[in-house]
Amino acid sequence: MLSEIVFYVNDRKTVFSGNPLTRLIDVLREDLHLTGVKEGCGEGECGACSVIKDGKLVTSCIIPVGAVNGSHIYTIEGIRDTDKGKCLVDAFAEGGAVQCGFCIPGMVMAAYALLEENPTPSEEEIRKGISGNICRCTGYDLIVESIKLASEKGGELWAK
Amino acid sequence: MGEMIYIPTTLEEALRIRKETGAHLLAGGSDIMVQGKRGIGLHPELPYPVMIITSIPELKGITDNGDGTVTIGALTIPSEIASSNIVPWHVRKAAAGMGAIALRNTATIGGNIGNASPKGDLPQPLILLDAEVVLSSESGERRMLLDDFILGAKKTALREDEIIKGVVIPAHSFTYSYYRKIGMRRANAISKLSLSAAAVVKDGEIIDFRASSGAAGPKVIRSREAENILKGHMVAELPELKESFLSAWNDAISPHAMPEYRRHTTRRMLEYFIDEIIRGAEPGIIGED
Repeated sequence: MLSEIVFYVNDRKTVFSGNPLTRLIDVLREDLHLTGVKEGCGEGECGACSVIKDGKLVTSCIIPVGAVNGSHIYTIEGIRDTDKGKCLVDAFAEGGAVQCGFCIPGMVMAAYALLEENPTPSEEEIRKGISGNICRCTGYDLIVESIKLASEKGGELWAK
Repeated sequence: MGEMIYIPTTLEEALRIRKETGAHLLAGGSDIMVQGKRGIGLHPELPYPVMIITSIPELKGITDNGDGTVTIGALTIPSEIASSNIVPWHVRKAAAGMGAIALRNTATIGGNIGNASPKGDLPQPLILLDAEVVLSSESGERRMLLDDFILGAKKTALREDEIIKGVVIPAHSFTYSYYRKIGMRRANAISKLSLSAAAVVKDGEIIDFRASSGAAGPKVIRSREAENILKGHMVAELPELKESFLSAWNDAISPHAMPEYRRHTTRRMLEYFIDEIIRGAEPGIIGED
């Protein structure tokens, strides 16, 4: 029986001893000040709060902190300065993928999870990869093209 | 004061807590966290004690039992089910169409069954395949057909001291298989209607014919009575038997909202599947897009 939750956020050890039903997004934003994680719908439908948990894309608004003991969580803050993160951020800027920007941290995390699994996705696979992330500005085309760009420019980076 | 929250780390501990407190089970959280949602910065509150079982190792994984059956542990996530090469096609197909990627990495098969929504994605193909649910408690294990376990909308035969341990799916070798989920969009859509169908045809004889309807009544609907209208007959007899089968299936379903739409669309899907068999379609998946 666990009385406290120990997990890792962007490689930093975190100990939580409050209510285990506290949403992961609230721990990330309120306690750890990782405000790149956005809250849109609060029901796991829009993808704005997407983070990577143990290598898998998840929406942090529907995950109780009591379910992440021992897990490794990465947010946009944890990947943006890595080679892969920089590749994606540059591609999003170059491709004009960002308008209001609210969905973008989640979108980058979805793209990151996709390219980690499939370094050279087709357009259809990219659209599927971000199908859980809603953007109300762009109409998605420039985001899809930017992810394609990150795949091409990153090349070898994603294969390892 | 909120209700108690328990986080056991072994199945043994979880079964003890379940017996002592009757705490509700939180597997992935994708249903319960939304049900108890109160807003930004606030933890969900639920009117009952909760046990978070997400990390119990005994409830994870997919096993080939060697006798043709496959066991899927209750905490197995849809993305793992969808990419498994030992899970039967109908179940993989349904798992691949659940929510979107993040949801498929969070939800669990045990939660999808325990929640017992008639719109749930996984019970429908599992009931088609006569899957059994394995229920564990301090007094031992019992197994029952999933079709008998789910009693109605949000109602199951789970005892207050039991935990869903997993499902066992028997082996089938269908000549024809069909699966369709209809939702508002491809990703993150709750089923408006779903249907699985399968048939075994040998030397022109229909050895097996079965179907299951999701979101067309208070629970997933299987009608053995309707299936028996076709079973044991020849494919050549299908044109004359089709109408009585479709009519019997229509009597078996009981859609609450938009009944005309659901009845009409269910009929269209079943008729399409049967017509493909009549015209001698290549064995395999029917209507794959």
